[in-house]
Amino acid sequence: MMFLREHAPFSSMDDTHLAHFAEHASLRFYADNDIVLSPEEGPVRRFYVVKQGRIRGERHNEKDGKTDTTFEITQGECFPLAALVGERPTRTLHRAAGDTFCLSIEHDAFVTLLSESDPFRDFCLRGVSSLLDQVNQRIQSGAMASIGSSNSLDTPLERYALRNPIVCSPDLPVRKAVARMHENNVGSIVITDDKRHPTGIFTLRDLRTMVAEEKGPLDTPVGQVMTKNPIYLTSHADAFEAAMLMAEHHFAHLCVVDEEHRLIGVVSERDLFSLQRVDLVNLARTIGTASHLRTLVSLRSDVSRLVDAMLAHGADSGQVVKIITTLNDVTVRRVLELNIKKNDPGIPFTWLTFGSEGRQEQTLLTDQDNGILFETPDGMTDDQVRERLLPFAETVNRELAECGFTLCKGNIMASNPKLCLSGREWDDWFIRFIDASTPQNLVYSSIFLDMRAVFGPTEPLENLYGKVLARIQKNALFQKMLAGNAMNRRPPLTMFRNFRYAPDGKKHTIDLKRQGLAPFVETVRVFALANGVEEANTLERMDRLAAKGAFDSKDANAWKEAYSLIQAIRMRAHQEMLDRGEPLSNYINPDDLNPLDRRILRESFRQAQRLQQKLEVTYQL
Amino acid sequence: MLEQIRMWMKQRRAGALGSHDFAHLPTAKVAGDQKLSESRLIVLDLETTGLHHGKDQVIAIGAVAITGMVIHMEDQFDLILRRPELDISETVLIHGIGPEALTQGHETEDALLHLLEWMDGDPILAFHSAFDQRFLEKTLRHSLGYSQNHTWMDVAELLPAIFPDARTGGRSLDNWVDFFNLEVSERHHAAADALATAELTLVALNKAQKQGVTTMAELNTKLRYYRRLQNMHRF
Repeated sequence: MMFLREHAPFSSMDDTHLAHFAEHASLRFYADNDIVLSPEEGPVRRFYVVKQGRIRGERHNEKDGKTDTTFEITQGECFPLAALVGERPTRTLHRAAGDTFCLSIEHDAFVTLLSESDPFRDFCLRGVSSLLDQVNQRIQSGAMASIGSSNSLDTPLERYALRNPIVCSPDLPVRKAVARMHENNVGSIVITDDKRHPTGIFTLRDLRTMVAEEKGPLDTPVGQVMTKNPIYLTSHADAFEAAMLMAEHHFAHLCVVDEEHRLIGVVSERDLFSLQRVDLVNLARTIGTASHLRTLVSLRSDVSRLVDAMLAHGADSGQVVKIITTLNDVTVRRVLELNIKKNDPGIPFTWLTFGSEGRQEQTLLTDQDNGILFETPDGMTDDQVRERLLPFAETVNRELAECGFTLCKGNIMASNPKLCLSGREWDDWFIRFIDASTPQNLVYSSIFLDMRAVFGPTEPLENLYGKVLARIQKNALFQKMLAGNAMNRRPPLTMFRNFRYAPDGKKHTIDLKRQGLAPFVETVRVFALANGVEEANTLERMDRLAAKGAFDSKDANAWKEAYSLIQAIRMRAHQEMLDRGEPLSNYINPDDLNPLDRRILRESFRQAQRLQQKLEVTYQL
Repeated sequence: MLEQIRMWMKQRRAGALGSHDFAHLPTAKVAGDQKLSESRLIVLDLETTGLHHGKDQVIAIGAVAITGMVIHMEDQFDLILRRPELDISETVLIHGIGPEALTQGHETEDALLHLLEWMDGDPILAFHSAFDQRFLEKTLRHSLGYSQNHTWMDVAELLPAIFPDARTGGRSLDNWVDFFNLEVSERHHAAADALATAELTLVALNKAQKQGVTTMAELNTKLRYYRRLQNMHRF
């Protein structure tokens, strides 16, 4: 019975309640394919725990007459919670998968435990979803230890103490506006029109700039020096969105409005991160205004500390990768700006990023995948433009490497003449790429078909990507080859649902990126391209595919959750490696995880298998 | 937790001490037409001071009951006999029972009477049952003068009879435990070994029913048939 101690909810139950369970338990054996529970048996009378083996949930699919596996229950897991609590028959046929032993207790003993043991009751009533909560809670509490705060980034803005905002009309002189701020001890004043719509914002920072740069006397109407059209969110938006907006625009204040766009209040970055030592907005601003490369280099360690802080504040893995991407974008932009200032090539260009950065899915371990898209000015040839841009790109690549973006081993960098192209050249390049589907091209698909503009005008890229998508949508053969390629990335589970270890790397390790995340990324990409989805981010692609009806929305949610959980486990591993001063790697030994995380990981991989099965069926692979 | 169950069982037993009815000890049942799906079977494991039934003694008895193909966890028997006069240094290493634990054991007669009542004459299964049978019968005869013969079945025969193609790499309990990937909490602890043997028995009975073996008598026939085949192979 000791094995129960390793599993929820038994791990947190009292000894007396566990003894009650043990005294009333009976042990049954089910051979492979034996039925354990079926809907025909009437209301469920027993509560089961898998002692050894697996239970498969089967549901008959009316559409194609086939049987779908809806879930899998492995060692230490309990069933059937919903049916037992609801005192109804199960809706799913429970069948043994392999030799399986189950402990079970009768309804009476179950009810006694339910009424006497709080952890047991919580577990049963919240069902399987509480497993996921537990994982998230642990990710947070680990990072929390170094911070000591419980603010959640999911908190809607309306719950933050919105001060009654200090407002004025645009004709008020700056001197009086500042006096009003001073009286109320705030750092900003919002300028509104007669309908209370915010038309501008004036902050102490604006005042400083105004004085320093001698923009005008203090009698100037505030309307002339305010920041016009201030960014705003509705009160339903959450703290995370607010933080992201602030980080992107380097503002410290944000207007909060109601549905009719009337001002309700102002949120400052200090409201959001009152207890945080490193804060996102300030960091983004410091990066974005750094005047030397060495400042940028030194700021990278702050990014890592920020990730810790974010996890502690309850950001989920999707949010955190976005933060990292945002900060990386700011860094890339600043490196480009500094170089343009020093040595302007004089040609307008768009800086492209590919691969994980293109998908906005970067973690702390990242390398450069970038390129340049330029418009050739009249009177110049493409080659002449390249001659000017390449030395510039080379410097940028080298400096990004100093900032921690490892140089790309495959030379997928803007300084590569093959990736510094005009719009027309890129178009030709993609035509060849799609028509001649060589094995090498298919490998590149994971890089070049996930792209995004980080710097410079975006329309040239939108035009280009529109054409690429249209071509792929028409080319069924290319889609099929992409699909076949995506199937090469198998989730790391054996036929018997054990972990399949990485062929390279240390013994008994799994590569969370290549084996865990890649099956999702690759498979979702095929569906996204085939359905004309323009987003590059895997989670957003799944949302769009569900909205377009290409994915069942329940499936899409399960896949998104599975993908996020693998990502979360990977990021926590990275954070731990940093703490130990080890180089970052994507390999983990599943034996190092606690049983709960192992189960989550296994279930997530199984979702990847389901997603791949959909691809197989769609393209008849 | 096991400790708690043990305490609880001890207390329950304590209340029953001294109230045994010598004249009405349960009679042994024969393997007849009882359905496997309804019968109660005893799965038993003994720990002894050594392998010679002539000079060695029983130290501990662990037993599990299977009723209607289900192991009810509260229907177990786990006790250490008091034999302070024995020199047990030889086998202590295998079993992990030291002299201290032994002296805490029950008075032998009481424990054995209790065992007989708990077994209720039901058929007894054990791994390499000949060993356990010889020891238990000798102990019952010497301590209580009890000489009824229970129906015994050997799980070490039952398993290969039901799974003739299993490649276990050997005939020991460990081989079968590994073959079916069972987890045994404490090997060479009578109760844990009895439970492992009982789990193997569940696996075998499940398969036997699918092969059309539904009664105790049919199961016995199957075992006899297996023994005959084994003997033929020897020639």
